[in-house]
Amino acid sequence: MTADPAESRLVHSWRATELALPGVAVAARVEPRIARPAALRFPIDAPRPVVTRVGLFDLRPAVQSFHFKSPVAQPPAAPRRMEPTGDSAATSLRVLPPEGPETEADAGDSTSTPKRTRIAPPADVVKLSERFFYLLQPDLETILETSSLEFPRQPFPFQFDGMAFLMPRHGAVLADEMGLGKSMQAISSIRLLVRSGQARRVLVVCPKGLVSNWTRELADWAPEILVAVIEGDQQRRRWQWSLADVPVKVANYEALVRDRDLIAELGLSFDLMVLDEAQRIKNRSSQTSEAVRSVPRRRSWALTGTPVENSSDDLVGVFEFIAPGHLHERMSPKAMGAAAADHVLRRTKDKVLKDMPPRLNRDERIELSPEQRETYRRAEEEGVLRLSELGQEATIQNVFELVLRLKQICNFDTFTGESTKLDCLEADLEEIHASGKKALVFSQWVETLGRLRSKLSRFGALEYHGGMSTTARDEAIRQFKQEKKHSVLLLSYGAGAVGLNLQFSQYVFLFDRWWNPAVEDQAINRAHRIGAAGAVTVTRFLSANTIEERIDEVLRRKRDLSDTILSQAEAPAASGLTQDDLFALFKLSSPRSSANRDAA
Amino acid sequence: MEQKSAEAAGGAVAGPKAYGFLTAVESGTHGVFGGYLLVDPWGRPLEFHCTAPVKVSRAQQILFGSTLQSHLHGQQIGGTLLAEGSVAPEVVLTDLEPMLHVRSHTKLPVALIRGASSGSPAATFGSAVGTGSFTIGNANVSPHVTDAARGDDLRERLEELAAAVDLCEPFERIRAAIDEAQRR
Repeated sequence: MTADPAESRLVHSWRATELALPGVAVAARVEPRIARPAALRFPIDAPRPVVTRVGLFDLRPAVQSFHFKSPVAQPPAAPRRMEPTGDSAATSLRVLPPEGPETEADAGDSTSTPKRTRIAPPADVVKLSERFFYLLQPDLETILETSSLEFPRQPFPFQFDGMAFLMPRHGAVLADEMGLGKSMQAISSIRLLVRSGQARRVLVVCPKGLVSNWTRELADWAPEILVAVIEGDQQRRRWQWSLADVPVKVANYEALVRDRDLIAELGLSFDLMVLDEAQRIKNRSSQTSEAVRSVPRRRSWALTGTPVENSSDDLVGVFEFIAPGHLHERMSPKAMGAAAADHVLRRTKDKVLKDMPPRLNRDERIELSPEQRETYRRAEEEGVLRLSELGQEATIQNVFELVLRLKQICNFDTFTGESTKLDCLEADLEEIHASGKKALVFSQWVETLGRLRSKLSRFGALEYHGGMSTTARDEAIRQFKQEKKHSVLLLSYGAGAVGLNLQFSQYVFLFDRWWNPAVEDQAINRAHRIGAAGAVTVTRFLSANTIEERIDEVLRRKRDLSDTILSQAEAPAASGLTQDDLFALFKLSSPRSSANRDAA
Repeated sequence: MEQKSAEAAGGAVAGPKAYGFLTAVESGTHGVFGGYLLVDPWGRPLEFHCTAPVKVSRAQQILFGSTLQSHLHGQQIGGTLLAEGSVAPEVVLTDLEPMLHVRSHTKLPVALIRGASSGSPAATFGSAVGTGSFTIGNANVSPHVTDAARGDDLRERLEELAAAVDLCEPFERIRAAIDEAQRR
């Protein structure tokens, strides 16, 4: 085989030895090989670069879970649709503006958001799960709406606040000013607790004269809840206390004191105990306070318009029921206010009811007739002389008797029967009667009420006092409300100052003054309360240059004490009508003070 | 965890009718807290789950870029919270658009909710917001793009709850609870 010369020319770099074949001449071009240079190695000791690992949310965050079983109120079978409600006496709860005169601005403002009320957990609820239970509830208006609860009228926004305050609290004082609907707020809260199963046994304790008021209010605001009134002989009461399927029991304070041992014997305990007019237990050593506090209970609510009647100790007494040991009498008013703050809710009418009809106060300074003045002068001179003669032997009782005697003379001359107060009252009542309006007249004495009734018979005067039976009192209220011929209701401070709803009365007369301004306020607020159709005129009779004027000065100083504690401010120096005050009314020094001075 | 994941994926145990509200709250000092509230048809709470705060580093912000919020809300917070629910809700509502991305981690329908006055967010290309928005009560509901065709179904599911509560309101409760948790 001969190699093609042309082909052989294409071979350039093969080695000859690789191509040498026997007998064949190969023309090959051999190029010299270039040796690779020796590589110099320079080892580098630099470390490997540091790699930073950026966590890209590899880990799921920790989760805390909470499960809620008991509802804050029992829901209905199915949610209600958003449909308008019809006009009926008992309306389903809707979120509407509060009652009151509708202004043009209100009527035309369809975009304003209705107020929603949240149930905030109380400060003493520590567990996060319990705090979440309240924080995660719908607003109160929604809870009520979806519970299909019927209400006789739309509650005011501040009343929703009151319910949201009461419901989560185990110890609470609702201290709203009289007339703001404390009982309605308590009943609505009771209703929610009962419907949700959080309360199965509720005990309401109130003054005897208010039992029928409470049963009426319960029927209005919680019509589906069964109520038992504890009354009658012991056998009957035993049976009433034992009723297991009645969620709410109403007892008066006297019955509770009487049945204290029976309650213990029956082993009764309550999920909630509500005290109306809770100032009744301000004295911790009283039988009433001890009986109330002996009842086993989980929740304790106190309702009172006057948590501080005379001194800060009053509030300590109430707290011994709702949160024993939380307050003590050695606290300063400021410290007491701070400690009580989370347990007490107090609103005044001027703060929450901007549209409330005004209360017009009229202090009628009356001059005694000459005969009345002479009787008064003699009585005072004789009384003071006797006190002076007694000297250190004079007792508070002696002074008290003199004060009462002088006050009675200011009402009616004990010899002639004259009364300039009555003359003034009659003149006012003529006009009130003629205009078809109603008036309440308060006095400290049943005897005074009786004299007034006989003098005011042409105005259809009716009486209401503790000397009457409950039935007679209820009948008096019914007649006064329903019969136009009765323009005047004569009430004692003791029986008529609390619990009655007489907001259809436009006039209040304080024929004589009570010892405590808070009680006078309570009396006035029988008329000046929610539902009052117009301005309420309050006339306070005050006999000029008499003991009444001097007492009034003391009462004015006293009036601020309650506000002082509830606003956490410093207390004024003078806080009550003390023994010293009473002696000072006659420019006498109290024997106790003298004794103290002597000791000092 | 597997069981929970299955629940989150829509296979949760049958229980009372429930609705889920899912949101997150950013705290300047702690990071982002997630909250998931399950309510009954009357708006009352059944369950509440909340996360420990998740703090995003600067590096994470850079590396995740524009996907950070959807990953943080949708997967880390939303996905974790939904896995904790013991009841499968009718629908999961959120008031945060990035939270819509939780839909990738669940079979439950998810929708964005806004006050009716603020209008519905636009369903743009690449957005998790789907078409088929509707108004119910005071709220505007925009389903996740996956559930865009289920507008009528979702409206029907929500009607019962909307009759009882404002659908935007439960988010306020979640925020209040998270605020409370931070203070404790």
